[in-house]
Amino acid sequence: MSKLKRLLVPKRIPFVFWVTLIIFLFVIPQFSGKYTIYMVMSILIFSLLCLSVNLLLGYTGLLSFGQAGFYACGAYGCGKILLIFPQLLPGIIGGVVIAGVVALILGYFCVRHTTIYFAMITLAFGMMVWALAMKLREITGGEDGLGGIPRAILFIHSLNMEPMENYYYFVLIISLIAMFLFHRLVNSPLGLTFKGIRDSESRIACTGISIRNTRLLCFTIAGMYAGLAGALMAPLETRVTPVCAHWAASAEPVAATIIGGMYTFAGPLAGAAIFFLLKDIIVRFTEYWLLILGVIVIILVLTLRAQGLAGVLQQSLFSRLRLNFEGSRNERSDIKH
Amino acid sequence: MRKRKITGLVIGLAVVLLIMIIVSFVPVTAAPPLKQLPLKKEVIKIGGQGIFSGPNAICGRSMMEGARLAIEEINAKGGILGSKIEFKYMDCELKPAVGIKNARYLVGEWGADFLIGHDSSGVLMAVGGVMPELKKILIGTHAATANYNERLVYREKNKYCFRTASPTYQDATIFAKVFAKKFPEVKRWASINCDYEFGYVNLALFKRAMKELIPDVEFVAETWAPFWTMDFTPQISAVMAAKPQGIYTSPWGGEGVQLARQALIMGVFEDPNVKLYINCTGETSDFLMGMSNEIAKDKFHGKLWVTGRYVLTQNDLPINKHFVKTYAEKYAMYPFHCTEGAYSAIYLIKKVLEKSRTLDVEAVIKAMEGMKWDTPSGEKWIRPEDHQAVYPVPIGRPVMDPDYPLMPVVKDLHWVPVKEYYRWPPFEPSIDEIVKAELKR
Amino acid sequence: MDTIVYQGLTGLTAAMFLWLVSAGLTIAFGVCGILNIAHGVLYMFGGYFLFTFYQLLGLNFWLSILLTLISVGLIGLVMELGFLRPIYKEPIGIQLVLTFAFVWIFDDLAKLAWGPVSKIVAMPRFFEGFIRIVGRPFPIYSVFIIGTGIAMAVFIWLLLDKTWWGKSIRASALDREMASALGINIRTLFSGAFVFAAAIAALGGALSVPLRVVGPGIGGAIIVQAFVVTVIGGLGNLKGAFVGALIVGVVGAFCTLYIPVFEMFIIYIIMAVVLLIRPQGIFGEIR
Repeated sequence: MSKLKRLLVPKRIPFVFWVTLIIFLFVIPQFSGKYTIYMVMSILIFSLLCLSVNLLLGYTGLLSFGQAGFYACGAYGCGKILLIFPQLLPGIIGGVVIAGVVALILGYFCVRHTTIYFAMITLAFGMMVWALAMKLREITGGEDGLGGIPRAILFIHSLNMEPMENYYYFVLIISLIAMFLFHRLVNSPLGLTFKGIRDSESRIACTGISIRNTRLLCFTIAGMYAGLAGALMAPLETRVTPVCAHWAASAEPVAATIIGGMYTFAGPLAGAAIFFLLKDIIVRFTEYWLLILGVIVIILVLTLRAQGLAGVLQQSLFSRLRLNFEGSRNERSDIKH
Repeated sequence: MRKRKITGLVIGLAVVLLIMIIVSFVPVTAAPPLKQLPLKKEVIKIGGQGIFSGPNAICGRSMMEGARLAIEEINAKGGILGSKIEFKYMDCELKPAVGIKNARYLVGEWGADFLIGHDSSGVLMAVGGVMPELKKILIGTHAATANYNERLVYREKNKYCFRTASPTYQDATIFAKVFAKKFPEVKRWASINCDYEFGYVNLALFKRAMKELIPDVEFVAETWAPFWTMDFTPQISAVMAAKPQGIYTSPWGGEGVQLARQALIMGVFEDPNVKLYINCTGETSDFLMGMSNEIAKDKFHGKLWVTGRYVLTQNDLPINKHFVKTYAEKYAMYPFHCTEGAYSAIYLIKKVLEKSRTLDVEAVIKAMEGMKWDTPSGEKWIRPEDHQAVYPVPIGRPVMDPDYPLMPVVKDLHWVPVKEYYRWPPFEPSIDEIVKAELKR
Repeated sequence: MDTIVYQGLTGLTAAMFLWLVSAGLTIAFGVCGILNIAHGVLYMFGGYFLFTFYQLLGLNFWLSILLTLISVGLIGLVMELGFLRPIYKEPIGIQLVLTFAFVWIFDDLAKLAWGPVSKIVAMPRFFEGFIRIVGRPFPIYSVFIIGTGIAMAVFIWLLLDKTWWGKSIRASALDREMASALGINIRTLFSGAFVFAAAIAALGGALSVPLRVVGPGIGGAIIVQAFVVTVIGGLGNLKGAFVGALIVGVVGAFCTLYIPVFEMFIIYIIMAVVLLIRPQGIFGEIR
């Protein structure tokens, strides 16, 4: 089997699957309890954060261990805006913009580096956001955080977001739009450029594209997605604290993305759901949840390796056999969703 | 072949996960109400949250132990009006978001009738904020921020929040009152404080009280240490550079231990200039046990003063003696205020339910307001305006006492009437205003 | 002036702990090529084992340290053989996630083995007391720490520069294939280097316990600082790790004194500045 590389190319996930899932998500509040609605919302928000990680990791080959920093920027930004001007959309948009700007600035430092340095620098910058949030008490409320953030209205008073169900639909719609845009992005020429940088920088450089600028663009967009996740979280929890910027919070979406599968579109989404549910269920039963979660993560990652759960499922459920004699790196570009 | 094995494993995992998801989505159904029991429920569910990891893990653990002790005693005697109590605890990981999530789970999915606990002021405020949405009562048993009773309950009229442990008034004002009389010559003070609300509030209250009693008091150095600080030597060194006579510190639990040890190592207690060192919550078991060697050898030269929200030597009541004895037999150490806060919270719930004879939240709140009940700290009274338990606790110095062989206890107790050091409605000026005025933060 | 000197020495003490952990991290990375977030766990175990041997079992202080180094070295060996060796070839994302999961697991194992309450160790009798520096009492133990840190730096330099083993390590770090072609057993060397790195980190942990406490989670706290130190100093460069640790420790101490507001994030600002001027770190090489 040395020279011969059998590659199972996964077919696209059927459109039917997505439609069913979306209908299911819309219908859930009708028959389930408040905690379930809260859980699904948290999973949607976490998925956006995982998409952010994967834009950098799976599509561009850059491992960022600091996305929680931009999540916090989005959350604090949205919180500050809502405390002054309780209108939901400006808060969310404001949070995204702030996160994007911070990503642009910090990205300038980060994108000159590769893999390992990139991971360490993003980790440290994420911690810098955490340290700033802890210390700048006048602005961020310090360790106690920003409290009393209203679940503000959407334009008019009748669209009140206070009840959990209403806010759920808001989060669902925004998340679906964001995921759709993400899908369009990664299947666009820009998305191809990202994948090209991941697979072979020298070839991309030959085409005249500036690698650094493209990476910076990718970093900024990823920062905006993380900021969106944070901004959606702020009105949900009505409180933002610095701990959401800590590197431990950055590591969770990375683990979830890898478990789900970093080379597929559905991977981060599946990983987000699985990781969140695992943690939520384990925590109910034991105080040693770190141990059990750690063991499960190790088992999953070692068995699934780079493909992730979604990758493996797609291969086994929706695949056709194709023999390919070329090197492995090129083939990754073929893996669509 | 390998691919098939992996696929098989993955599909197996997916099936297991799917089953777990389905099971977790099924809401927990409450037991059918029994007409015979006055409370119409066979089991009263009480959920507790605390810190179960990191340097202050002992707090969550003690909360659980204190609650369990009370619940076992009550269940053995027939429960509350015939209904047994069931207890579940969760780790809030010091994160408000997790605290809120757990609260939603405990009330929404598990069916808790009451929530107790909380060691972190930040988490307590966050969870307190969602109780009106969950429509259940939260009884704080440890976290001390005065904003909980003054702002949440009194000003914002959040009637679902109560607390059985004394607030930050216990950590600050009482020391000022005692020392102004006993050590009026100590006028140069420095501080090493927690860099979050707890630390800001105690220092602000201490400063204000000292200034009122000793007009020419000076605060020569103020240093701050965030959570998870392990190395206080920079702060200690900065404080000692200012040559203080008294040092006020608020880092608690494991951090308090480190701070005290590092202060010892750096010669703070050998300095003849330094007369007083306050650890405002030094009555905790982890601090006393951690310092037992040094206390036995009198390394602190009597300069260390502590208090807590419960001091086990503060009275000789049978309920206290029984509490200490039972706990010591079970856990080979003495209880402290985290334990007592939970223990008294459970007994508060019992007495209130026996009075209200219903689980209807509005009726229970009415019954709880103004309630007086017996606890190991003595008689506590729930002040109706802010749902805060009011009861005096003394300050003292830790020593080894032959009557208490397991670890040091607090003796040389000094009392101040509770009317003099608690704040009372209308709580003017507000805590936040005092903090702003007294501290440059 | 006195205050500056005194505060600087305080910072120097803190820097030594950072140096020990960073040295281990640097060796593990330079030789084995693996960025091991779980390295902080070895620091934590160093503290726990010293507690067990010295406090619980009451053995002699120096013997306890020796036993601690051996025990954690063994744990390091198990970690390298069992957990790290299978993932050397994996992409960095997977390595980081796995080592991160190790941190979770080991933190909880420590909680199970020693309980959730933080442990402290009494200061050894012969280290109690202080010497007068610039008129203020400076703990003798801190002097010992500073001395040990510098001694370790010299020892490691001698080891890597003068001994055959050290030269093999450096050769393997530079060019693995060539070193292996020269007959060096890479696998044994990796394990040996990792055990050495683990022992250094354990030394840091063991020495820190009389001054600080040990509990689940202290590994995570120190590893972030160690990361910043290695980035500042240059990844894979021991001289850089030493200098980086000095900078972080001393500047942090001064900040507490003069600009407390900056204290928490000053190290990240230093890191950003260094990266702007010299992206590969102060002593790093462009690979």
